[in-house]
Amino acid sequence: MDAALTVTLLNFAYQGLVLALVVLGLGIVFGMLGVMNMAHGEFLMIGAYCAVAAQNAGLSVLWGAALAVPVCGVLGCLTHYVLIRRLYNRPFDTLLATWGLSILLRKLVELVYGRGYQNVEPPVSGGISVFGVEYPGYRLFLIAAIVVLFAILVLWYWRSSTGARLRAMIGNPTLAQAVGIDTNRLACAAFMCGVISAGVAGALLAPMVRVAPGMGLDYLLNSFFVLVVGGLGSLAGLAAGTGIVSGTQLLFATLFDQTSGYLAVLGISIIFLWLKPDGLISRR
Amino acid sequence: MKRRQFLHYGLGALAGSMAAGRFAYAADKLKVGVLIPLSGPAALFGPSSRNCIDMGIADINARGGILGRQLEALVADAGVPPAQASQAALRLWRGRHAEVLIGQHDSAVREAVAGVINGQIPYIYTPVTEGGGCSKAVYVIGETPQQQLMPVVPWLAEHKKSKRWYLIGNDYIWPRKSNEAGKQAIAASGGTVVGEEYVPFTVDNFDASLARIRDSGADSVLVTLVGGASVGFNRAFASFGLPDKVLRLCTLLEENTLLGIGAQNAQNLYSSSGYFAALTSPDAQAFAKRYASQFDAAKAPLNGLAESCYEGLLLLEAMAAKAGSLKPEAMDKAAAAGVSYDGPRGKTVLQSRYTTKNIYLARADGSTFRIVQEFANVPPGQSCAK
Repeated sequence: MDAALTVTLLNFAYQGLVLALVVLGLGIVFGMLGVMNMAHGEFLMIGAYCAVAAQNAGLSVLWGAALAVPVCGVLGCLTHYVLIRRLYNRPFDTLLATWGLSILLRKLVELVYGRGYQNVEPPVSGGISVFGVEYPGYRLFLIAAIVVLFAILVLWYWRSSTGARLRAMIGNPTLAQAVGIDTNRLACAAFMCGVISAGVAGALLAPMVRVAPGMGLDYLLNSFFVLVVGGLGSLAGLAAGTGIVSGTQLLFATLFDQTSGYLAVLGISIIFLWLKPDGLISRR
Repeated sequence: MKRRQFLHYGLGALAGSMAAGRFAYAADKLKVGVLIPLSGPAALFGPSSRNCIDMGIADINARGGILGRQLEALVADAGVPPAQASQAALRLWRGRHAEVLIGQHDSAVREAVAGVINGQIPYIYTPVTEGGGCSKAVYVIGETPQQQLMPVVPWLAEHKKSKRWYLIGNDYIWPRKSNEAGKQAIAASGGTVVGEEYVPFTVDNFDASLARIRDSGADSVLVTLVGGASVGFNRAFASFGLPDKVLRLCTLLEENTLLGIGAQNAQNLYSSSGYFAALTSPDAQAFAKRYASQFDAAKAPLNGLAESCYEGLLLLEAMAAKAGSLKPEAMDKAAAAGVSYDGPRGKTVLQSRYTTKNIYLARADGSTFRIVQEFANVPPGQSCAK
């Protein structure tokens, strides 16, 4: 295979999978609870700082990802208890409250680590040869890790009893409650899962991206586009959305320039909002 | 006199004496309006800039102040949109009686501030700049693209065999003006430009750009990306193993950004600037040592943008001494005749609106810089003749 094409395909796989991992948490929370979590990017940032903390303690990034699970779990539980649960069915208030939370989280991290950029070293350095081209080793690791993670998630969602309860709650919350499912607890668990997945994404991405208190905003916008294009509340929608958004971005950026890539994604999002506001694959 | 009347007059007199006292106070302290970014993307440089202002004020006050008056800094946030920043400048001047402005912020804010100040008080603009600051009583200290590139590109052509250049920057005026100067310097050094690209601030994925750089066969890249974009680009650039073959020259790469890029990604990475915390002259070393002893250098590392605020105060001191007044006309006259001072950067000479000064080329060495070449007395390459 042509070397340039191989690199482009690997880039596409990498960008798409990373975007899917980033959007996952936002999708879970919006799809299952109907809550637009504006602090999603900040939970990702907290995850990245977990990687910084792990590195400062002399451990690898993978320990950072492990640390992000309890840290973001507790944060998610607290947020759900203090904010989200009291604002169900008040989408605009939730938007404002989580936006406020995002500012608070940024400032808290600034207090501890300062405003400067942090450098997180990848556990795998250097390139690995794939089909005759050198590709960054840590990117290949991430591609594999995200594929495995999603495979486990799909199996769990469709096979486990918690998955069944979740599907029941999404399908019809009142009926689910009537048959004895504790939807309150389940909602809290779903929110925690969303936050944890953002945190783990942040910790895993930390070696590849800029790490600073304001980094969360980078991810929020593209995540919205994915949800707009793909539709809410299904893994298939998530896959379709990430494929289209990152594919368009990469295609236009490669053929023309980065500005066109950005413009094309904006254009597609506008077309979807206008003609197909529920996205490609909608459940409702 | 009725009691009410007495109270009325009494309070009036009291208020009058307080106002007079305030006026007298205002007249003997010289208030310096300082515009630095405390919010927005450049807020990263707020704390270190503030520290350098505090150092400069303390140093000059210890020497007896300016024109016999002690200095006091009035700080306002310039990390806001230009219209808002110019209102803040107006409040410093009209409301809080600042008699001179020192600014370390972007050039859009500079134009807005110069518009409202309109040459009525002196305004010293300190950071790296694309030039163009020709308004009355505006004095520009920062490195111009000509200063950063004219001596450096030929040196790299000679010593590092930089011949085929790819230019990449964020999409606004400073990178475009820098690349104009860059193209002249590259042509003069016998090199060619093999690609030129501008990316929006929102881009955090540089894969497409990196593919183009690889395909272009470039041996050097001139990077005019700023802040987070520079961090993201340089990290991705190194993860693809490009630094083995391709040199990077950045014109806005200071200590904070280098920390974000990371030691493992900093191979074959150069920066051109008028100041590095790693400068080895005795003045610069003494300055860096004092900074480290007074402030938390881990949270607000010393860098060229912050240090430029200190230079701004030194220039103010030298100009006021020569002009004998802070009146814009007198300052302009002194500037036209030329004003020089010695600071951490070495000897700097202001002529009219711009300064001639030393430029340093540094190579990233882990997470710090190592000076590889000093270019003395580099002219600004800007003129304000109309």
